[in-house]
Amino acid sequence: MTFEIDRRNLLQMLGLAAVGGSVLSQATFAFAQGSDNVTIGWPSDVPSWDPNLRFVPDAQPIFKLVFDQPLDQAPDLKLVPNLITKWELQPDGLSMPFEIRSDVKFHNGDPMTMEDFKYTFVERIKSGLKLDIANSWRTLTDIEITSPTSGVMKFSAATPTAPQWLAFLGSYLVPKKYVESVGPEEFAKKPVGTGPYKLVDYQMNSRIVLERNNDYFGAKPKIKRVTIDIIKDPSARTAAIQSGQVDLTVNIPVREAERLGKTEGLTAEINPFTRLILLQMRNDMGFTDKAVRLAAHHAIDKAALSKAFYGGAAVPLSIPATPGTPGYIEDYKFSYDPELSKKLLADAGYTAEKPATFTLAATNGQFPSDFDIARALVQMWQKVGLKVELQQIEYSKYFELNRGGKLPEATLYSFDNATGDPEIFSGYLMNPKMPFGAWKGQEIGDKILKLFVEPVYEKRIAGYKDVAKEAVETGANIPILQSVQTLVRKKNLNYVKYGNAWVLGSTMSWS
Amino acid sequence: MRPDPFPDIVIRGKRMFATIAKLLVKRVLTAIPILLIVSALLFCILRILPVDPAAMSLPPNATVEEVEAMRTEMGLDRPLYEQYGIWLGKLLEGDVGRSIHFRQDVTSLIGSTLPATIELAVIAMVVATIFGLAGGLFLFYVRGTRAEAVMDFFSILLLSLPEFLWSLFLLLIFGVFFEVLPFTGRLSPGFERPVVTGFLLIDSLVTGNISTFFNALQHMILPCLALGIALSPSLMRVLRSSLLDAYQDDYIQQARLRGLSEKRILIRHGLKNAILPTLSLMGVQFGFLFGGTLLVEIIYSYPGMGNLMVDAIRNADLPIIQGAGLTYCIAVLVISIVVDSLYLILNPKLRVR
Repeated sequence: MTFEIDRRNLLQMLGLAAVGGSVLSQATFAFAQGSDNVTIGWPSDVPSWDPNLRFVPDAQPIFKLVFDQPLDQAPDLKLVPNLITKWELQPDGLSMPFEIRSDVKFHNGDPMTMEDFKYTFVERIKSGLKLDIANSWRTLTDIEITSPTSGVMKFSAATPTAPQWLAFLGSYLVPKKYVESVGPEEFAKKPVGTGPYKLVDYQMNSRIVLERNNDYFGAKPKIKRVTIDIIKDPSARTAAIQSGQVDLTVNIPVREAERLGKTEGLTAEINPFTRLILLQMRNDMGFTDKAVRLAAHHAIDKAALSKAFYGGAAVPLSIPATPGTPGYIEDYKFSYDPELSKKLLADAGYTAEKPATFTLAATNGQFPSDFDIARALVQMWQKVGLKVELQQIEYSKYFELNRGGKLPEATLYSFDNATGDPEIFSGYLMNPKMPFGAWKGQEIGDKILKLFVEPVYEKRIAGYKDVAKEAVETGANIPILQSVQTLVRKKNLNYVKYGNAWVLGSTMSWS
Repeated sequence: MRPDPFPDIVIRGKRMFATIAKLLVKRVLTAIPILLIVSALLFCILRILPVDPAAMSLPPNATVEEVEAMRTEMGLDRPLYEQYGIWLGKLLEGDVGRSIHFRQDVTSLIGSTLPATIELAVIAMVVATIFGLAGGLFLFYVRGTRAEAVMDFFSILLLSLPEFLWSLFLLLIFGVFFEVLPFTGRLSPGFERPVVTGFLLIDSLVTGNISTFFNALQHMILPCLALGIALSPSLMRVLRSSLLDAYQDDYIQQARLRGLSEKRILIRHGLKNAILPTLSLMGVQFGFLFGGTLLVEIIYSYPGMGNLMVDAIRNADLPIIQGAGLTYCIAVLVISIVVDSLYLILNPKLRVR
């Protein structure tokens, strides 16, 4: 049988080729880089355009472009004025007078007023809407308006971290008049904020298009249009920056970032930020004995883990706080000493025939190299005579397992805290009333609960440093590494680096 | 016009449509208990999983007491059968529930993402059909030659690679290496996105936005190729073996004796009979394809239901998982009804009185 190309076949093939060629050539797909535009490849979408609704750390840099928080954070994480110009938490921590700007307008032209503050932080929460900020402001009973630009926040209990929460998850100002007139559902569809950009197009799980707000009260952004492509797959993000379909991307594998950093026209960074990688510890079962917990800690070569999985950029930690944050203890080191581990185990009566055993739970893919780190930990522990079983869990199961007391002795965990405040590091991790920590020891728990209502800043920070040290030295917590954010960008795209990994389109410019 | 050789045996014309309508009614009635069983299974399996939707629905600083209160509010402390009864009752009223993570109606979330997935699946199926039929015909055409062994090798190679690997491979080749095709989202930045039906290709044509149409088509090439290529080898192989079977029958020899060309015999006689098993397989594959776009949608940032489902699984968003599961089930049932109807039209043996 022969395969002949006759005139009809040829015409059919030419027709097909013409259609294919026309599809390929009809529209250009690469968005031309210009001084007015930037395209960012971001790993996750906002859960909703109502910024008070859900706490999602990765969504904060997106929200910050459209909405404003009462206070802001400088790149070194210090609190700075934003919508609020002055604030002072009273010595008892029960009230906080504050003043606001008078020159702020929402995207629809409405001026920002004290009523908007009261609505966002008090009335909206009390209206019964299921808002995550209801949990951060549960002690806020009222905002007393004392003048058109000043008011007093009143708390039912001392709330020492109120200023921090004014610049943290979900605390974005929303326009009372607009939200009440269109309703919450419509507001989430057509959000109106005071931020440096306006939302002009949004397709869930795909693309966010923002245009500069020329009436912005703060420094005018240099980039007119910011496009955020939601690219969840790290390989696709790598391909997108390599092919020039995006101008900047984050959270790609360290090895890929290092490779792309050597590519012409691109530059790569591996930036440590305010996220901890740690072991959540139990105080019972195989970890009843403090010696076993401490032996497990001394056996971990954190520098080797950093080198193997994060190109050496992840800072080894001895305390559950990141360098540069108030709760960090500069000169405190918990030693890597496998010999001491062996001695601790031997002194406690453990031998090769009767080894200390426990289980380590870890997620796979929740944060970069999580399961690989867990495997490496098991090997390190085996070297000192600890017999460890590795169990994989889903992040969504963590809380249920913890609530039911079903977590194993140790769980590899990552914890994010953009404020850097120690309450949200040691405080949340060791608070027995919160669902994060697996440690249920009452001694540390009681100290933490007292610090939650300690209004004197210096006393509070000193208290957290002490309790963090105690947690480490009793084996209640094993901090491992400071997490890193990989970032790859075009060399001529400038941005401002924040200590909490915010990447803000409003700070970008082309050179 | 050729006379009907079996006028009294095979049902044709208007009566054929009546037969199809009867089949449709029968299949829709059968679908109801299937949906009920699937919904019950889905509900029970999701409730047995050790995930805590109450904790996932609250912010990180929620206390244990607040999580407990939320659990009560969500009805998670009630017996399983009671929870199912409440859910089913609401479902019958058209209320699929409210997403835990997005705090939106599940119906609207599914409604806004379903068209993208349907568009993707349909075009991928077209790609798979073109490759599958062309490949199957070619395999048959070159049977007994060295080319058959080479093609056989390639079809096995195609079969052994899953769609997500195809996705990455095509993305690297056409997106990164040659830089000829886009691979993120449904449209390039700067293109207007018309919203009429949610089907972007249709919407752009309806609104006369030709540049958007071509751009959207460009964006579909790689994901559809990835899905289509992964499905096509099985179609190729089934078609080839069906053709081999068909060519054993007497009517092929008779056609040759009548002096018909090989091409005419293949297209008008061989393929007409051999296509039926391929059509069945296409129906099954389309069902799988519809539910199997998850990874491809993630890799290509395609805003479809697969992408939504991945979010839902990560956040233990049970209402979305249940709603999406039921939608997949309905889609598979609809596809199987369509395939059965086509089968009835194409295969006269099934219409014998």
